[in-house]
Amino acid sequence: MLTKKIRHRCLAALLGVSMISGCSLPGLGGGGGDESVTIGTQDTSESQIIGHMLRIMIERNTDADVEIINNLGTSIVVHQAMMNGDINISSTRYTGTDIAGALNEEPIMDPDEALDHLMEEFDDRFDQTWFPSYGFDNTYAFTIREDLAEEEGIENVSDLEAMADTVEVGVDNNWLTREGDGYPAFQEHYGFEFDHITPMQIGLVYDALASGNMDVVLAYTSDGRIAAYDLFLLEDDQQFFPPYDTSAVATNDVLEANPGVEEAIRQLEGQISTEDMQVLNYEADAELSEPATVAENFLEENNYFE
Amino acid sequence: MFEVLSDVIQYYMQNFSYISQEFFRHFLMAAYGVLFAAIVAIPLGITIARFGRLSNWGIQLANIIQTIPHLAMLSIFMIAMGLGANTVVVALFFYSILPIVKNTYTGIVNVDQVLLDSGKAMGMTKGQLLRMVEIPLALSVIMAGLRNALVIAIGIVAIGAFFGAGGLGDIIIRGTNVTDGTAIILAGAIPTALMAIITDLIMGTLEKLLHPVKSVKDDKENVDHAAPA
Repeated sequence: MLTKKIRHRCLAALLGVSMISGCSLPGLGGGGGDESVTIGTQDTSESQIIGHMLRIMIERNTDADVEIINNLGTSIVVHQAMMNGDINISSTRYTGTDIAGALNEEPIMDPDEALDHLMEEFDDRFDQTWFPSYGFDNTYAFTIREDLAEEEGIENVSDLEAMADTVEVGVDNNWLTREGDGYPAFQEHYGFEFDHITPMQIGLVYDALASGNMDVVLAYTSDGRIAAYDLFLLEDDQQFFPPYDTSAVATNDVLEANPGVEEAIRQLEGQISTEDMQVLNYEADAELSEPATVAENFLEENNYFE
Repeated sequence: MFEVLSDVIQYYMQNFSYISQEFFRHFLMAAYGVLFAAIVAIPLGITIARFGRLSNWGIQLANIIQTIPHLAMLSIFMIAMGLGANTVVVALFFYSILPIVKNTYTGIVNVDQVLLDSGKAMGMTKGQLLRMVEIPLALSVIMAGLRNALVIAIGIVAIGAFFGAGGLGDIIIRGTNVTDGTAIILAGAIPTALMAIITDLIMGTLEKLLHPVKSVKDDKENVDHAAPA
């Protein structure tokens, strides 16, 4: 009787300890460590679509259990999660963002140079592999309605200076304050500032612009609503925004521990154009498809790039 | 209104496999949290029922844990354990302790003293009394505690999506990030609510099935019959 009781207690304690030490529970997967593959995505549809593509490609190529951690707020949070070991692959990292963010350096305007630099530095400093671009970029662009562009004859960002005191401008929350390619640097570079500038959730800027609540917004070039709403991207005539080519980043540890993962990621290299990404984003943002579904369909259409 | 509803239906048709996967995952997280809590909390409830002096302070402590806001509790565990499902399961573990301990305690304490005495008179050991008298009679009350904990847990798991745990909360959050996400928000919220309601119903039925009233009546009848003879 007593031994039975003790045995039961030991079992309970064991269960408790296995849970707290971060082992994976059956059915839930992940839990960190080098053997499990955990993909981190940001809270954008794009990041989650690509995250699911990576998951599907890795699951096809290896036996690894792949978990996705969604809704990481910013690229800095993603980088921290990579360094902490909470995740070991990030689905979408942008050259411009991470040179300013993770590396804390001055922007590099040449796309190839920027990519090479990141590959080298990430390997050296963080023991991580920065992959070649998927083929699309998601840079910032000031965007206006097509009819307004025609009426006022605005084609590039410098043209905005004449109306900087009257237009309502909507921008991404974190752009207002961020270093490198944020608003403070913009004012210095272009030599003017906007009188009415409103920080908002990036997902809202397209509708705010289309509905007339805003006159100018800072949009992402790969967003599907740009084509769908007849929006016009202004040319960055003074080359302020650095390139934002999109790549996957993985820790070298996870690549070594799981042969096949690297190959799976490289199969997506150069396969997704900016136009492709606009279409995929539109499916998720406006046509009620989950990123997981969008990713699955896209890969199936393309025969998993085999 | 109809437009939103047809959007929700369209959403389910397009993403059925994803939704069912997340539904299962959502339930699993809640179930794990409650299960681990039950392993600890039921023995704990029995112990504090035995030692009356402990009861106040044990339940007081569980009460204090219960007052920590969900978001704060999850954030604290995130700092210690990082992102992912395990963090949410551990937080659920702590939230589930109170309802289970309280109900176990109540169930055990309310077992009729007459029955305990007759058990003792028949020469039952303490262990036998517990296994054959107290636990069977308290089972429906303990079940009610588990039911309570599980329904609360299903709600908390939805918040867990902010901590990288996935589940149906992920769909709700995506709906808030997308313009015109009403349909997506509903598509995540409806199955969450349904899960809580259905779980409540199933556990409620189980609770009734385990209710000892019937057997208590039988006992009484036996006692009545026995008396004249």
